[in-house]
Amino acid sequence: MPNLPHNEFCGSPESVITRRGFFGGVATGAAGLTAANMTLLDVLQEPAFAEELKIRDKRVILLWLAGGASQLETFDPKPGRPTGGPYRAIQTSVPGVQVSELMPHLAQRLNHTAIIRSLNTHIGDHGGAATVMHLGRRSEAALKLPDLGAMISKELVRADSKVPDYVNFYTATEGRYSGVGTSGFLGSRHAPMFLTTESKPENLTRLESVSAVDHQQRADLRDLLSRRFARGRQSAALASHNEAYARVRGLMSSEKLFDISDEPQSMRDKYGPTLFGEQALVARRLIEAGTPFVKVSRAWWDSHGQNFETHLELVSELDVVMSGLVDDLQDRGLLDHTLVLTLSEFGRTPKINPSLGRDHFPSAWSISLTGCGIKGGAVYGKTDDDGQTVVDGEMGAAEVFATIFSALGIDHQKEYHVGSRPVPLTDPGTEAVAEVLA
Amino acid sequence: MNDPNYLKITKQVERSGILFSVAQQPETTRVFTGASDSKIYAFDVMAEKPEPVEYVGHESYVTGVVLAGKYLVSGGYDGRLIWWDPETRQQVRSIHAHEKWIRAVQATPDGRFVVSVADDMLGRVWDVENGTHLRDLQGHAARTPYHFPSMLYTCAISADGRYVATGDRVGHNVVWDLHNGEQVGAVETPIMHTWDPKQRIHSIGGVRSLAFSSDARLLAVGGIGTIGNIDHLDAFGRIEIFDWQKGERIFELVVDTHKGLVERMAFDPTGKWLVAAGGCHTGFIAIFDLATGEIIKHEKAPMHVHDFVLNSTADTIYAVGHGQLVVWSVTA
Repeated sequence: MPNLPHNEFCGSPESVITRRGFFGGVATGAAGLTAANMTLLDVLQEPAFAEELKIRDKRVILLWLAGGASQLETFDPKPGRPTGGPYRAIQTSVPGVQVSELMPHLAQRLNHTAIIRSLNTHIGDHGGAATVMHLGRRSEAALKLPDLGAMISKELVRADSKVPDYVNFYTATEGRYSGVGTSGFLGSRHAPMFLTTESKPENLTRLESVSAVDHQQRADLRDLLSRRFARGRQSAALASHNEAYARVRGLMSSEKLFDISDEPQSMRDKYGPTLFGEQALVARRLIEAGTPFVKVSRAWWDSHGQNFETHLELVSELDVVMSGLVDDLQDRGLLDHTLVLTLSEFGRTPKINPSLGRDHFPSAWSISLTGCGIKGGAVYGKTDDDGQTVVDGEMGAAEVFATIFSALGIDHQKEYHVGSRPVPLTDPGTEAVAEVLA
Repeated sequence: MNDPNYLKITKQVERSGILFSVAQQPETTRVFTGASDSKIYAFDVMAEKPEPVEYVGHESYVTGVVLAGKYLVSGGYDGRLIWWDPETRQQVRSIHAHEKWIRAVQATPDGRFVVSVADDMLGRVWDVENGTHLRDLQGHAARTPYHFPSMLYTCAISADGRYVATGDRVGHNVVWDLHNGEQVGAVETPIMHTWDPKQRIHSIGGVRSLAFSSDARLLAVGGIGTIGNIDHLDAFGRIEIFDWQKGERIFELVVDTHKGLVERMAFDPTGKWLVAAGGCHTGFIAIFDLATGEIIKHEKAPMHVHDFVLNSTADTIYAVGHGQLVVWSVTA
């Protein structure tokens, strides 16, 4: 078992999500249904609550391949073609499905993963493309739209959560502010905890000048005064104020989730020795503790020169990190509840330039979806023999988002309201890709 | 009489795809070139319309071709070494020589031995006549200090056939005794490897070319300088020349007229000059005076040059690269 707060866990890995998800669900989605003498069975027999419970048990880890990973060196290899590059394609655990030889570990786990090979997202500059792949649509001047993480946070978060709702790792400096996480009109409650220079949040540690006892006593005093003040008053602002204090205390206690120093070496070895691997391990700890959305950014894939060397480094790393993550989630019984995504702002050109590089290419590229709600081994969409165009199943960012929401059991046509304006999770008319959904 | 001041192109042959390696049949204008389509092509480059003749057998990029004795020996990213009869185009022997990409193949001048280097970080010595694997040259680290796979890009053999030099991704260069496999020297060129720990968190560069002077005293190491933006080959070509037995660096040469990797170098047999070529999105060729370290002559090449061979009289350069084969004359 990992070194997590003991009051969050009962013991077996399999029970972690169920127990936590259950009590979290009781506290939030169906709080109005609960009664003092209601048994667990009674609660679960309430259809609306059971559905809510199912949804709120879900988590997302986004592996954001910033800069634009090559589909040809990952999920849509074209060996033997002039555009194919030097890497071979290898057979996966799914009959008839091949991926780049740079991903031997993922190839053996592809029965958990669906590949979409037919994205045409039209935008070839980093900033614009990253924005579309974060928002699922183009940005608007008049309205700040929430990104995927914020929407997932909004849909999956437990109101009483004591852990961060949305964590975004982005350690490299290049591209850090392209498509940076934003909660838009959903407000600061769903804004990401944005971690850059360190893999753990700053300013969460209790000041050394304040002892743990003093800290607790101050909190108790504040609670006492707050309760006295609240007598006879009904105020949303007051409730929000108290909730904010509770969340700060929760966040402070969650600091240890970011510290993997106590993880056994065998666990760290699963994820490999790099910073990306370490952050993916933290991501697993966070989602296990209840964080709905964690984005681990791995920059920078922009291989205009020496594409094959760059991808030898970065895909080899991705292969280890992602396969370690999938194994770990599965071992803990979390994979069915956790959706692992690899997204990027675009792919890379089939044409190999004179620097043996590949350039920006939004016209025909690939993503992967693993775990929760996904039909493992499915391959959707097709590019031509040289990877120049999509010949089947063309889709854009909106369809990607609809598919992600659907995999999580979230109605992607659901509407938020900004004033009187309805804003659906995905643009009207968008369809999820049913072929990759379980 | 060669004179580097008269460097000029005398022939250009356009080809589709990328040409990675070249060998010249001595005393002729016939060349063999390994290509990105997994084939080897033979041309008489000075023919009015050079007609390529194909050699089919590899399954990936062909990154090394050498003439050794009566054979043409090629190596590729498929990890195979193939012995060919250059006249009949028949395969004489095909060996699974390395577990990873073969980056370069060189032959001793007497044609008795071939050395291959690959990303399994091994140099391997082969008996040309019977294909026997004689020994490994083992000592390059498999991973960089930053936990990524390393690469063993290049090798060179001294004119007397005694020494082999090998150079890797992180700028570690080793000189080996070809006949017993023992390490007899090492020089470091870490500037040729740029590790970016902050902006992009990966690396670029590496040692891409090595050359011994004709007396084997000097070893030239070619690559690229420190790169700011590692999305691109955005630094000048760089050469460091060592008296490797003393461990002394004699020259640091910068191709300050052109950016890109120094992919290939050759010493003039008299030891007066060194020719280097390579590139990024464009290509270059440059000739350095070895008395002063100054550039005698430099030209923009019509393509990124991946390989060249300087003929035995040092008056003609047969170069291959991105979509082109080019012949330079070095005579007045």
